[in-house]
Amino acid sequence: MSLAVLAGGIMIAFGALAAGIGNGVLFSRYLEGIARQPEAQGTLFGQSMIALGLVEALPVISIAFGILVLFGIIG
Amino acid sequence: MDLTPKVKFLGMTFDVTLMIGSVVSALIVMLIVFLLSRRLTVRPNGRQNVMEYIIDFISGITGMMLEKKESAKYLSFALTTFLFILIANLLGVIVMVTATAHGSLPSLGITAADLKMTDSVSWFKSPTSDINVTVAMAAAIFLYSHFAGIAKSPLGYLQHYVKPFWWMLPIHIIDEVSKPATHALRLWANIFAGEVLIIILREGAFYFTGVPLFVWMAFSIFVGCIQAYIFTVLAMVYIAQKVGEE
Repeated sequence: MSLAVLAGGIMIAFGALAAGIGNGVLFSRYLEGIARQPEAQGTLFGQSMIALGLVEALPVISIAFGILVLFGIIG
Repeated sequence: MDLTPKVKFLGMTFDVTLMIGSVVSALIVMLIVFLLSRRLTVRPNGRQNVMEYIIDFISGITGMMLEKKESAKYLSFALTTFLFILIANLLGVIVMVTATAHGSLPSLGITAADLKMTDSVSWFKSPTSDINVTVAMAAAIFLYSHFAGIAKSPLGYLQHYVKPFWWMLPIHIIDEVSKPATHALRLWANIFAGEVLIIILREGAFYFTGVPLFVWMAFSIFVGCIQAYIFTVLAMVYIAQKVGEE
């Protein structure tokens, strides 16, 4: 097993870890929001989906570079 | 990772797969908008309602950051950007064409060294799953936003670098560099990671990876829509930061 496989695995693992924490915080606050104000669900859903797209970006960038390292394209 | 056929022209390397993908998505966008905007009437019928809904949605995006008079100028730009990226993202989920190379093809840039790694050659995939396309789009928006800012008021453009305090200049410069970089990487990474997982799941036995493949494809369609929306919103935010002040 080469070090590149290990490096790619670590990048993907931390990307997944960060995405899990970020999305967990985001959606727990979203659920809190609709529990407090159920009529605002429509607006909050759209806003939280935009935030999901923004939060997901950095872990997914890490995962994409991890895939490139794992398959030996770069590094 | 599949290989892609490449053509050398005037010292530059062109990726044939990306050119096919971009042209097909552009043609589909043109066809959709052309068919939806024929025979307009005062009382909208079925097709016109769809087009009016799309335009309403896009003018909501442009209206978020800019004033009404200013935002009408960017409506067609935002509409084109959104529809092109949306169609390009969704095409790669629905259609992916790969061929197997049985020997090196020097005229298409596939050498024997490449074939040692993999022998599958991609002929059709999302153009947005390649970093060159998204960097080109983000760079164009970056250049346009700066030119528009300078054209509006040259002094105001220089002044906004030292606002609110002069020592924030380095932070502004880092911000200006990181904005186009994350703008491009965000779209590329999402589509690329999605496509790689589809390729990996497709190679497994259908009994094991069939259900995850369909779940992931449904999620990819969702991600493609969200990322097209976010790319358009961020493009308008970056332009509005330069144009909308004062």
